[in-house]
Amino acid sequence: MVVHPFLWLILIPLASAPLVYLAGRLGGSAVARGLALLALLLTGAPLIITAQDLISQATLTVALGMVQLKFDGLSLLLAVVALGLGACASVFSIPYMAGELGEEKYYAALLGMIGFIIGLGCAADLFNLWVWFEAMAVSSYMLVAFYRDQPASLEAGVKYLVQSAVGSVLVLLGIAAVFGETGRLTLNHTTTATTGLLAAGALMTVGFGVKAALVPLHTWLPDAHAQAPSGISAMLSGVVIEAGLIALLRAISPVLGEDSTARFGQLLLLFAVLNMTLGNVLALKQTQVKRMLAFSSLGHVGYMVLGFGAAAYTGQLAAAQGSMFHLLTHGLMKGLAFLSAGALLYALYVANGTHGPLTVQDLNGASQRYPLVALTLSVAVLGLAGLPPLAGFMSKWQIFVGGVQADDPLLVVLVVFAALNSVLSLAYYAPLVNALYRRVPSEAVQHGKAVSWAMMAPLVILSALVVVLGVWPALVDGLSGPAARALLAGWQ
Amino acid sequence: MNLPPVAIAWFGAMILFGVGLYGLLVVRNLIKLVVALQILAKAAMLAFVAAGYAQQQMGLAQSMIALIIVADTVVAVIALALAVQVRRRYGTLDVRQLTALRG
Repeated sequence: MVVHPFLWLILIPLASAPLVYLAGRLGGSAVARGLALLALLLTGAPLIITAQDLISQATLTVALGMVQLKFDGLSLLLAVVALGLGACASVFSIPYMAGELGEEKYYAALLGMIGFIIGLGCAADLFNLWVWFEAMAVSSYMLVAFYRDQPASLEAGVKYLVQSAVGSVLVLLGIAAVFGETGRLTLNHTTTATTGLLAAGALMTVGFGVKAALVPLHTWLPDAHAQAPSGISAMLSGVVIEAGLIALLRAISPVLGEDSTARFGQLLLLFAVLNMTLGNVLALKQTQVKRMLAFSSLGHVGYMVLGFGAAAYTGQLAAAQGSMFHLLTHGLMKGLAFLSAGALLYALYVANGTHGPLTVQDLNGASQRYPLVALTLSVAVLGLAGLPPLAGFMSKWQIFVGGVQADDPLLVVLVVFAALNSVLSLAYYAPLVNALYRRVPSEAVQHGKAVSWAMMAPLVILSALVVVLGVWPALVDGLSGPAARALLAGWQ
Repeated sequence: MNLPPVAIAWFGAMILFGVGLYGLLVVRNLIKLVVALQILAKAAMLAFVAAGYAQQQMGLAQSMIALIIVADTVVAVIALALAVQVRRRYGTLDVRQLTALRG
């Protein structure tokens, strides 16, 4: 049997996850770290081959018995973000997690999560999509509650698990309703929407919405993202909630009829408004850095949903492409922000034997002892705020232009609203940068330990990418364009 | 009254779902919370039985249910492991006592 290399993209991380665990148990955590990095490096090869094949073909398919896996532009985007950010988070975690209890489990679960996210992008039917989604969720439960001697981590883990598990049951009920109504589970066909299918759509929207942190369903997010180890916070905010959003957008396609796509778009626009407003307003009053970044993720999901909603509402490709671009840049910027904050958390607290929390006041004058980390954190948060020449400006701009081009009064109003929200977000990002460059260092900074080069290397790479994509956004048109087309193809 | 079997199965799934949801809302003990989650998952399985029967595709429905059972068990195992750790750190299984995170 000839297997297309994209299957290796899923198989290598998934097969190496148990190996990493065993190696860590038998040979010590240094072996586990090395093996995990090697596995991620090896996964890069099929990624490059698959990306080249995808230039000539729109989709690649592999059939394993009855189960089909389909690799298209959207799968590629998700795979690139998951693997790239996963590799950065793994390198960062080497010094960060060194000596923690159960270090080998950490790398095994992280590899598993990366594999499951790539698999989620390839799922070609509803049930398969759910299986990948649930597997990704399970690996993330373990990682959120990784510090099992920390009461706060356990509490975040319990909240996350209970809410996600209920969401997952709702998704299952939705899938059962689609199956009972139509007898098929494929992800692309048009029907006239019956009542049963609309109910299924509602169930799946709520179910996947928990994972994508659509606003009334977001309450687990700030706890989970703030309490997880910093490398995992970067993964959760940069890839996992986006994967939930992609799963929702893909899963909804068999439910949408001729007229209901536009109505689904309106629903998404409503969620966009709620997410942007609540995320930015709640982030304003946070004093802990990681919690603030977690709330800002809510706002950024709002921007993405705005683009996707505009695309569903009017059929505008440009808006969806802007959202795909924002998915990529948000992954880079939020990953960078969490990793930089994590580096400071490590230097100021973890290396001294406590777990924080890192507050904005602790950052006072951090630039004097940690000039590089202060610079990367500033690049990340200013990019998230959408300051030009950074990547965040370009991707938000693309969403806004796409929305305005649709020539619909509702969308123009929403774009203006989103732009104002973007300005509002500066109100909590700017004090962060201000604190970093104060002259008098805080007490925590004075007692801080050094940050090793292995932690700084991913920060430098990610911030270079954020700047390069801001100056030259056309560089990733080849990624975001096919991804948007693949998404819209499922809706027609 | 002569209900078709599919309707009975859908009805049963709805009742199970209601029971599970009610349990989630009122129960305060972490172990009982896991039981409520399990009841919810059973509702989804019964819904798949109904759907498969309606479409005359019981084989496919059964294979899907087998997978749901596996996934569901994994979630229950992790939830119980978390409950053990919560009991150790907090000294209680009452979810109302988990109040380290606010705001």
